[in-house]
Amino acid sequence: MLGKLIKHELRATAATMLPILGVMLLMSVLTNVGARVMDGRQLPAALEVVFVLVIILFFVGLVAIGFVTVYMMVRRFRDNLLRDEGYIMHTLPVSVHAQIWSKVLVSALWYAVTGVTVVLSVLLVAFDVETVKILGDFFGELFRAIVREDYLGEILLEVLLLMILASVVLSLSLDAALSVGHSFAKRKMLLSELTFVGLLILGSVFTFTLDGMVPSLPDARFISDWRLICAEQAGILIAEGAFCYCVTAFFLRRRLNLE
Amino acid sequence: MTILECKSLTKSYGDVRALDGVDITIEPGRIVGLLGPNGSGKTTLIKLANGLLVPSGGEILINGLAPGVETKKIVSYLPERPCVPDWMTARALLGFYGDFYEDFDRSAAEDMLSRLGIDTGAKIRHLSKGNREKVQLIMVMARRALLYLLDEPIGGVDPAARDYILNTIISNYNPAASAVISTHLISDVERVLDDVIFLREGKAVLAAPVDELREQQGKSVDQIFREVFRC
Repeated sequence: MLGKLIKHELRATAATMLPILGVMLLMSVLTNVGARVMDGRQLPAALEVVFVLVIILFFVGLVAIGFVTVYMMVRRFRDNLLRDEGYIMHTLPVSVHAQIWSKVLVSALWYAVTGVTVVLSVLLVAFDVETVKILGDFFGELFRAIVREDYLGEILLEVLLLMILASVVLSLSLDAALSVGHSFAKRKMLLSELTFVGLLILGSVFTFTLDGMVPSLPDARFISDWRLICAEQAGILIAEGAFCYCVTAFFLRRRLNLE
Repeated sequence: MTILECKSLTKSYGDVRALDGVDITIEPGRIVGLLGPNGSGKTTLIKLANGLLVPSGGEILINGLAPGVETKKIVSYLPERPCVPDWMTARALLGFYGDFYEDFDRSAAEDMLSRLGIDTGAKIRHLSKGNREKVQLIMVMARRALLYLLDEPIGGVDPAARDYILNTIISNYNPAASAVISTHLISDVERVLDDVIFLREGKAVLAAPVDELREQQGKSVDQIFREVFRC
């Protein structure tokens, strides 16, 4: 059933996310074109205004797109599980766990796709033959460095895994906050926001406490220290994620308060 | 086996008792009217049977099981308000129900939609309010469930739509299954009911077969309801 939930979740979220990400990529291309056309040329004032606006919109979009993705995922969870659609979703013959995992996995996927879109957008804006050559040289050198220094590949992989884990935990903490906030009769969104702030504070306290408990390795080599840091961060993220997961599952099962 | 059973079922919201020690049983093959004025606990009871709420005391069993994944396979639920995802098309909704419910009869649903002239390619949000409600009812009644829980299926609709809804329920309802119809519009549903349960302030004050009630009291269920719930 998890597969079916994910299929429908992807379909529902793609209907809103694909146009947003498509517009972002389109604006990158227009920004690139605008910058080239304006480069050292005298253009009609109206056309110049249009290109300047496109360039401004692109940079605003670049900053905002991460927030937009988070907002869309929050809205999807709220509308699908905590508002009217919840009457359909919570009476499907699937467990609460499958419901949560479908939301978390699909959210994490869209966060990753948004990240890739941002990188692609920047590349599209900077795109010309010289940039492609510079980028080719950069990635070629990076690959050679990974082959030469075995720890570099490990570091990149671990950073990537930590980023994926962090996006899953972000989804879980947002879902937990929404589930708690919507268990109340009134001011559901305000209480959800307050719960999210509370979870952030709890997470910070937990991180600081753990930081004090884990011994440093003063004489260790760089890579050993790095592994320890990664393991510690992963441990913190997994603990926070597990806590938020339990909160979400409890509130969806025992404190559901559909409108 | 009893399809729905409540044993001293209680549900409180803070200090307010929505259900107070309800004891009822519903046998297979019966159409039961869950009758009572607004705020009597009808929706709460149906939500408890669907696992949307958790009892504060007592228990509720569906086919001998507490509400959960297994009971949701055999219960078809029509909520009080339209809640099908309005961004979907009717065709996508057919796929959605077909994916999750093994007992969903897609061809029956398609047949009902075509008889209403509903374009399955149109988004639900583009349908009229009446058609949105009918689409939801069709999805619910196209399941070959063992228990149908219909919360106010004829509330807020015109008399012609009421007839359509009741006819859809009767003509699609599996005779071996049970249906619970919650409403306070007694005169409209009386003709289809086998049994009635009267709820008042969270308590089941009367539960009896309709024929027996009419015979004993010489009145229609609607008249009895008006007497029991006189303000």
